[in-house]
Amino acid sequence: MPCVSASSSDGWSGAQRRLHWIVAGLVLAAFAIGLVMVALPLTRLLEKIIAYQVHKTLGLLVPPLVLWRLWLWARRGRPAEDPTIPPWQHRLAAAGHIVLYLLLIAVPVLGYLSASTAPGEIETTLFLLIPVPHLLPADEALYKMIRPVHEVAAWSLVLLATGHAAAAIHHHLKGRRVLRAMLGR
Amino acid sequence: MAHIPMRRRTLVAGVLGTLPLIRPAAARTRYVFDQNVGRLEFVARHLGVLSSTGRFEDFSCELLIDPDRPLTTNVEVTVRTGAVALAYPGAVDLLRSPAFFDVEKYPEATFDGAATGEGTLARFFLAGNLTIRGITRPHRMEARLLERKMDPALGREVAEFSAAGDMKRSEFGMTADQAAISDTIRLAVRVRLLV
Repeated sequence: MPCVSASSSDGWSGAQRRLHWIVAGLVLAAFAIGLVMVALPLTRLLEKIIAYQVHKTLGLLVPPLVLWRLWLWARRGRPAEDPTIPPWQHRLAAAGHIVLYLLLIAVPVLGYLSASTAPGEIETTLFLLIPVPHLLPADEALYKMIRPVHEVAAWSLVLLATGHAAAAIHHHLKGRRVLRAMLGR
Repeated sequence: MAHIPMRRRTLVAGVLGTLPLIRPAAARTRYVFDQNVGRLEFVARHLGVLSSTGRFEDFSCELLIDPDRPLTTNVEVTVRTGAVALAYPGAVDLLRSPAFFDVEKYPEATFDGAATGEGTLARFFLAGNLTIRGITRPHRMEARLLERKMDPALGREVAEFSAAGDMKRSEFGMTADQAAISDTIRLAVRVRLLV
């Protein structure tokens, strides 16, 4: 076994499957809203303000859910690997998963730090209700460093997730249970 | 902190002559300051939970005050509206536009006020007239002596004052974006004076 320490013959648990799809949905929605919110002109200020807060809310929900997934993975493991998949693909998938998890944590953290250091000093509120304190003060120089990294990391995350989805579809078309296992079928 | 040497102003001799016990006004000092020593900000609220803070980077203020007896304070502020600053992309253009400060037509905004005599040294009130976009409305601010201490670097005593008051932008013809930007805008000024 090249990379997995624990395995479960029962497939993914219901919680693992639900968390996978919830995180995927949050990432896609936050990414799409992120593109829209920066493009919205100030003449549509209300939509712009709401879009930013929704983007921040969705993004900040991701790290705790990802940590929950990692905890479930450590406790319960993952389904046994399909022996018909070549070892090099296993290794590539394992490396891809590590980078995916790192980005799932890093992108929201970088986004939070961008919001904290932004000179406009717009607050962050979860669901437009719960204020989230900014740990760093407004700092334009720092913001100009962090903000592009957040953007590049977000694009990397979405592109990598697209590759991850393409691989799952590829295996599915070859008759393997990779996609069905995550769908619980 | 920069500070312009002050000349003491005395009240008209006749007034002093008839009311010799009114000493405070005699000790008032005229301070003139601008954006280099003071800070003039405005705060808008959005959706009831968010706020954004802008400032004016070009203003002049003439303050007649006795830091021991601020209840006799007089203040005149002139703001260059084109020097409005808000660190959010596009916000400055929006604020300069005819929908807001309309800086081409109304390059200046002013506040002219005096202490009402209410309050204490730590917290007192200023009332006067605020003029924005050529419209004048009464405006009231709550002023505070934040701290007064010896500044070892300057070798002088320094008093830090703040004043803040709410205005309704719609009363000055700024009615755009009511859904996204609160009608009530908080104006706040802060300055350190050499006593």
